[in-house]
Amino acid sequence: MPKVRIYTTTSCPYCTMAKDFLKKNKVLFEEINIEKDHKLAREIVEKTGQTGVPVIEIDGKIILGFDKAALKKALKIK
Amino acid sequence: MADKMFDIVIIGGGPAGLTAAIYAARFKMSAVVLAKMPGGLLTSAHLIENWPGFESITGIDLMKRIQDHVEKLGVKVLIEDVIDINKSKEGFKVRTEGKTYDARTILFATGTERRRLGVRGESDFLGKGVSYCAVCDGPFFKEKTVAVVGGSDAAAKEALLLTRWAKKVYIIYRKQEIRPEPATADAVKANKKIEIVANANVTEIMGKRFVEAVQLDNGKKLSVDGVFIEIGGNPISAMAKKLGVSLNDRGEIVTDKDGRTNVPGIYAAGDVTNRTYKQALMAAAEGASAIFSAYRFMKEGKE
Repeated sequence: MPKVRIYTTTSCPYCTMAKDFLKKNKVLFEEINIEKDHKLAREIVEKTGQTGVPVIEIDGKIILGFDKAALKKALKIK
Repeated sequence: MADKMFDIVIIGGGPAGLTAAIYAARFKMSAVVLAKMPGGLLTSAHLIENWPGFESITGIDLMKRIQDHVEKLGVKVLIEDVIDINKSKEGFKVRTEGKTYDARTILFATGTERRRLGVRGESDFLGKGVSYCAVCDGPFFKEKTVAVVGGSDAAAKEALLLTRWAKKVYIIYRKQEIRPEPATADAVKANKKIEIVANANVTEIMGKRFVEAVQLDNGKKLSVDGVFIEIGGNPISAMAKKLGVSLNDRGEIVTDKDGRTNVPGIYAAGDVTNRTYKQALMAAAEGASAIFSAYRFMKEGKE
């Protein structure tokens, strides 16, 4: 199983969709809500170069936004 | 998958498409909703305070409830992007990535896509300070300065939401007066974090790794860490046009008051149509009307 991490904010609809997509495809993931930890939010901006969510990390590879095609490819979902 | 013939294929999962699905289910029409984004653009509205029965509800909560309602009635809402539609002997063939759906009738409830400013730096800094979704990305701007570009009610509400995190929010608008609903205007006026920059257009978004400033056409430059663009949307109507559906000069699908287009069997509802007021509630009502029309067309074989 790949290591999947998703960075979210509480009310971001694309984050919810991305999580639903992962759940539907039985992908285990860790969620990090940046809204709850401001210091962490800064770190993530530095690390990913992004001030937007969702950001999904799959085995270190970063996917920006809810990009279904890119997710399918990275997770080998048909 | 290509065997089943649907009475109606609904394209779009916002208020228009999902309400249409509820009506279709109750009319016992076989239906499916194909949505790029279930819930539609309304999911990124922070609070909706004019939906009857809900004094205040977030966009995502409202749309989840509506989607639940649809699914309980047995209509599937699939996350699928329609890429092509063709006429067939019995109606239409709707093609998504890898799948084809046969339909007697179709409903365009495709809505709009967010309009871009079209200035230098906008795409380079997307996700690096530039955003089209305040509820999503607002929390990144705690104690920062941001600008909202646009003067609509949606733009003003976005500015209000952003004051939750940002220390300062500019509203940059090309005209003299922003035009939110009066209730929103009062809230903007009372909020000390918001400053309106009127009669100004953004000509460039600048920065190094992240956004640092916006250049205005009045010669001024504002230091900002984020830019939220809320200047309305363009109707998603290219596929309708290809099928011979009439559009107006704004690219909106022209319908009669009951959701019929000029092409028999093709209906449209919601923000993609030529209705004056773009409101979720009206989109929902149009979705319902379109189903009445489609049902009659199926039963009576005439428009």
